[in-house]
Amino acid sequence: MSTAAALRRQIEQDLEGRFPAALTFAPRTIREVASTGIDAADELLDGGLPVGAISEITGPASSGRTTFVMSFVARRTAEGRVCAWVDVHDALDPESATANGVNLRQLLWVRCRDSAQNVANRSRPWTRLDQALSSTDLLLQAGGFAAIVLDLADTLPEHANRIPLATWFRFRQAADRTRCSLLVLGKAAYAQSSAALAVECAPLRVEPAGGTVLRGFTYEIRRGRQRSAEVNVSRMHGVRKPPVSTWSAGAAWEAKKRA
Amino acid sequence: MSTLYACVRAGEFPAQALLRLRPDLQSEPVVVLEGRAPHEFVCAMNTHAFRRGATLGMMRLDAEGIAGLRILGRSAETEATARTVLLEYAARFAPRIEEASEGTACGFVLDIAGTERLFGPPAKLAERLRVELAAAGFRVSIAVSVNYDTARMKAAATRGVSIVPEGAEAVALAKLPISALNLKEEHLDTFAIWGIRTLGELAALPEVELISRLGQQARRWRDAALGELPHMFQPLEPVFTLKEFCAFETPVEQIDSLLFIGARMIDSLVARATDRALSLAQLTAHMKLEGGSVHERVLRPAIPSTDRKFLLKLLQLEIAAHPPQAAVHSFELSAEAGHCSTMQLGLFTPQTPEPSRLDVTLARIKAIVGEDRVGAPMLEDTHRPGSFRVGALAAEGSVCDEPQTQRMVLRRMRPPLPVRVTMRDFQPTAFRDGVSLFEITVAYGPWRTSGCWWSAGEWNLEEWDVLAERSDGLSIACLLVCDQARNQWQLEAVYD
Repeated sequence: MSTAAALRRQIEQDLEGRFPAALTFAPRTIREVASTGIDAADELLDGGLPVGAISEITGPASSGRTTFVMSFVARRTAEGRVCAWVDVHDALDPESATANGVNLRQLLWVRCRDSAQNVANRSRPWTRLDQALSSTDLLLQAGGFAAIVLDLADTLPEHANRIPLATWFRFRQAADRTRCSLLVLGKAAYAQSSAALAVECAPLRVEPAGGTVLRGFTYEIRRGRQRSAEVNVSRMHGVRKPPVSTWSAGAAWEAKKRA
Repeated sequence: MSTLYACVRAGEFPAQALLRLRPDLQSEPVVVLEGRAPHEFVCAMNTHAFRRGATLGMMRLDAEGIAGLRILGRSAETEATARTVLLEYAARFAPRIEEASEGTACGFVLDIAGTERLFGPPAKLAERLRVELAAAGFRVSIAVSVNYDTARMKAAATRGVSIVPEGAEAVALAKLPISALNLKEEHLDTFAIWGIRTLGELAALPEVELISRLGQQARRWRDAALGELPHMFQPLEPVFTLKEFCAFETPVEQIDSLLFIGARMIDSLVARATDRALSLAQLTAHMKLEGGSVHERVLRPAIPSTDRKFLLKLLQLEIAAHPPQAAVHSFELSAEAGHCSTMQLGLFTPQTPEPSRLDVTLARIKAIVGEDRVGAPMLEDTHRPGSFRVGALAAEGSVCDEPQTQRMVLRRMRPPLPVRVTMRDFQPTAFRDGVSLFEITVAYGPWRTSGCWWSAGEWNLEEWDVLAERSDGLSIACLLVCDQARNQWQLEAVYD
């Protein structure tokens, strides 16, 4: 046994009463993952999005975040599972969902709305947020949903950041218990430490066809936090390869043209 | 073939029918009034009221003079529902049943010959029948005999369970008053003059002399008193209906009070459906309100169910979401029977939401966001952009093996955001959404769509896919639409 190993063992034995295995990395939970349906993203995320955990998909408008989440939902419904979309700003487009292969009959859509007294004052979206959080809570408790998307993409960060941390903890526990992938779609990361994975999306370029038709977009995704990943040795030494990947989404009319 | 009859008799039936679903009133003295004001009189009561001094035929004013007495009105609908329930319970023990109701008592005679191997000796069957009816809210007396009329008269005259051994009918009936034969007043007077007061004394009279004085009918009376009168059994053919009804003496305003009754009704409906290996596929709550209006709600669980708690929760959520607009006079709960659902689970089938639990969850979410804002989206058969409707979520998923490709997803603005667009050479160059100015870097279009020109739902749109940049550097790709009919520009959706 080398001197360093012997020294480490001795220190651990001395501190055992107060800190078990003080100099050993804590074992990480290797979670089951589900494919996103995007090869580049699956490769970047070691197989896909975690099952039974919260994943945060963040990015500005037109960054491909909704397309990314839609692809994941399409994949899950294609496996015969049931998913839910909690839509804070009633922005889901069923036509786009169908174009991406989502089986609409297996997608529960919860459309939040302003209550009667708040319609006049649109600057206070608390009611919509409350509805979304309550609905998400109920769906998580009910169980049986393979994925639940909490769509906060159009919610201002100053509003979404006021969601209590206890709510995210509760969601994390419920998602773990019911083996549901809770996807939080937003402009920024809100679940913080409760999220097992954070993915940042960004627009890269537009693909026009002949200068007259919009043919598609190329997006960039960047992996943020990933709790369940295996420890990367190179990361321990401070040499970290940027976990970035690119992927493309075509226009719906391109699909029809090819067909 | 030997015969054996069991007579089930629920006395004071108007009171029993009203109190069956009201356990809160069962420990109080209650009388039921019949007739039109001011000539209302007591037609039925419970034991507590009898102990307080209430009597049958007592007028309303006299009844109101007894302290603490609860006075209810007679309800024919409640009695009819209770009679159906009583008959349902009796039918658990014998398929051949004849009605033997008299006055305010509800009675049925069951042909229980040959049921020994199913339910044991008659005493055991009678006791079990009594216990089950007690659980359903009925206090009954039961008499078993090989003679129909003996069983009927014995049940009317005694409480609890009476078993009349074969050959001892005359002895069992000997002490009953002669009024048990339902004779006319003139005949009762004649027997009173003769000093005949019991069936035993009537049976002891010589047959020939009796007939010579009162005619052939006297022979039937004497045979009945001896327990030897033959009877042609005429079985009922009841229609199976799942219905419970309760009329309130004062209109009920609180939903909790309504659900208290609703819970008892659901218990009864589930028990009756379960007896026939059925489930409840649909529940209809029918409420008559103060002022004469009617409030009706229909519950359709995803799958037929016999889960009492689940059905009560659904009823609670439905009534809470759609409360009656006035106090409730009467509450009727009817159900449609469905076959019990069976589901084959598998190790490798995907996990899906449990139907009954999903029903409750959806009802709760509907209470939060609105009735029409939860469900599975479905595309309409039209070319109008953004058309859809909300349908029912599929309880079971279907697997699809088609290869998947990613397509640009739109995020719709509902309603579309009106914008002011600056045009140059018939191309949009900038737009303002009321807060910010977006410079359009690239615009693809226009794509023109129109339809339904023959109706009020006409649309005529010009669509542009634009890439725009805000002054702070934010770039968006969006769908601008010019409504040609109204000459108005709108931000319809954002590519995301």
